[in-house]
Amino acid sequence: MSDLTLLGIAEAGRLLTRGDITATALTESFLKRIEAVDHKLASYITVTADMARTGARQADLELKGGVRRGPMHGIPVALKDIYETAGVRTTGHSALRKDYVPTIDAETVRRLKDAGAVILGKLGTHEFANGAMTPDQPFPAVRNPWNIDYQPGGSSSGSGAAVAAQLCMGAMGSDTGGSIRNPAGFCGTAGIKPTYGLVSRCGIFPLSFSLDTAGPLAWTMEDCALMLDVLAGHDPNDQGSARAPKVDYGAACDRPIKGLRIALARSWYEGAASVTPEMKTAIDEAVRVLKDLGATVDEVVFPDIRDYHICGRVIITVEAHAIHRQEVIETPEKFGYTTRRRFQLGAFFTAEQYISALRFRRQLTLDTRAAMRGYDLVLTANHWGAPDKFEEPQPIFHFFGKPSLTMPFNVTGQPAATICCGFGRDGFPLSFQLAGRAFDEASVFAAGSAYERATPWRSRRPAL
Amino acid sequence: MSPPKMPTLEEFRARAAQTGMPLTDEDIEHLHKGYVGLLEQMQRIPTHWAWAAEPPQVFRADE
Repeated sequence: MSDLTLLGIAEAGRLLTRGDITATALTESFLKRIEAVDHKLASYITVTADMARTGARQADLELKGGVRRGPMHGIPVALKDIYETAGVRTTGHSALRKDYVPTIDAETVRRLKDAGAVILGKLGTHEFANGAMTPDQPFPAVRNPWNIDYQPGGSSSGSGAAVAAQLCMGAMGSDTGGSIRNPAGFCGTAGIKPTYGLVSRCGIFPLSFSLDTAGPLAWTMEDCALMLDVLAGHDPNDQGSARAPKVDYGAACDRPIKGLRIALARSWYEGAASVTPEMKTAIDEAVRVLKDLGATVDEVVFPDIRDYHICGRVIITVEAHAIHRQEVIETPEKFGYTTRRRFQLGAFFTAEQYISALRFRRQLTLDTRAAMRGYDLVLTANHWGAPDKFEEPQPIFHFFGKPSLTMPFNVTGQPAATICCGFGRDGFPLSFQLAGRAFDEASVFAAGSAYERATPWRSRRPAL
Repeated sequence: MSPPKMPTLEEFRARAAQTGMPLTDEDIEHLHKGYVGLLEQMQRIPTHWAWAAEPPQVFRADE
């Protein structure tokens, strides 16, 4: 293959193991493409070229000596700029941290490095994973690689844009209300929000302790699975970390899906508010493909989508205020104009209102589990339609308008993935969500990978 | 259930003064709109709960 940036992680791993390519050649291909293309997208805040070259040389030495650390050995990846990185600035896309250089790596970064991954750099994000990208911030806003006049979604904006534009093989994002799945959908990548507690958040800037999750975006579900294989695991330094059994997610991608039972949550995206007709048709077609592959798909009634939306919004608003309160009081002018107001708002809610939202969350989790009885997965829409124009003024608060389609699985903590299911006439990707039972990422990967193999959508890339 | 009483901008301004945050007039106007909007949507959250509804201290997706 002449363009190494088109390789998937699994295929690149095989070529690296056989000695057909080197990690250095792979890394140089990505650095060259970042240099050539990223000035159009601004997906990277910091490119760590020297560190990447050193990491690639180390991987080559080990691989040449017959040492293979695993599927991520020698694979170039990038990190949302809320992941702390030793010796490399970690900005949160904010003036408040623009010169902050941590001394130790986040647990997830440590795991990636231990697995031999090559770190290409740090990626743009909505400020502290919450505020929109506004002109009053010190770094440029990220653009959508399918059409640079449009937004890439967020908050893991740089992660979605960089993966789609072949500027890294995989990227770390975070998801509190949909921040992995939203840019994955708008940029046409795969991405998974793991079960709450599966992946450590230690060393990642928090937004909402009881909802934050960390997870990968990559071009395919299989690539996400290979990343999750090295990311998952208990961390005593994260109070929300679970002791879940080790699962081989890469192997799960090859599992047959005959007999898998899927609950279709159609009422969420074809009710009072509806997805675009193209999105609806693409999801119907995805259902047909999954049925042809042997899965059963039935429409199931779940709690109202607006219930999950408001429950999650109250929890995020209050917890984000608690986390950022001191800086909102001492240096409010350093936040972007949307971020500041979003972090201030939590001060106006009472303890009773917050606790009611937590109680509601528990009820919704139990009701969702009851609705899923007899089913392995939930299938629903990922987002409502095309992304916003780049120049569109950013709303101060994003909870008005249509409810979030991604929030249900933040509220319940279940794993949920975004899978591309075609392209609209406007050229933007269409996608759907697949969610599993808590800690059953394996079924999500099995169905998502089977769908990707049966459809042609992974062969189209944005032209830049 | 009767809908909650929405604070006027003036009532909200008085409350804002108690938060300890330095807020501009523009901040308060935005925050008032946001608060009232969220409060309207919060009518979907029940106000009476059984004892068994208490959430665990640390959230677990598989509890």
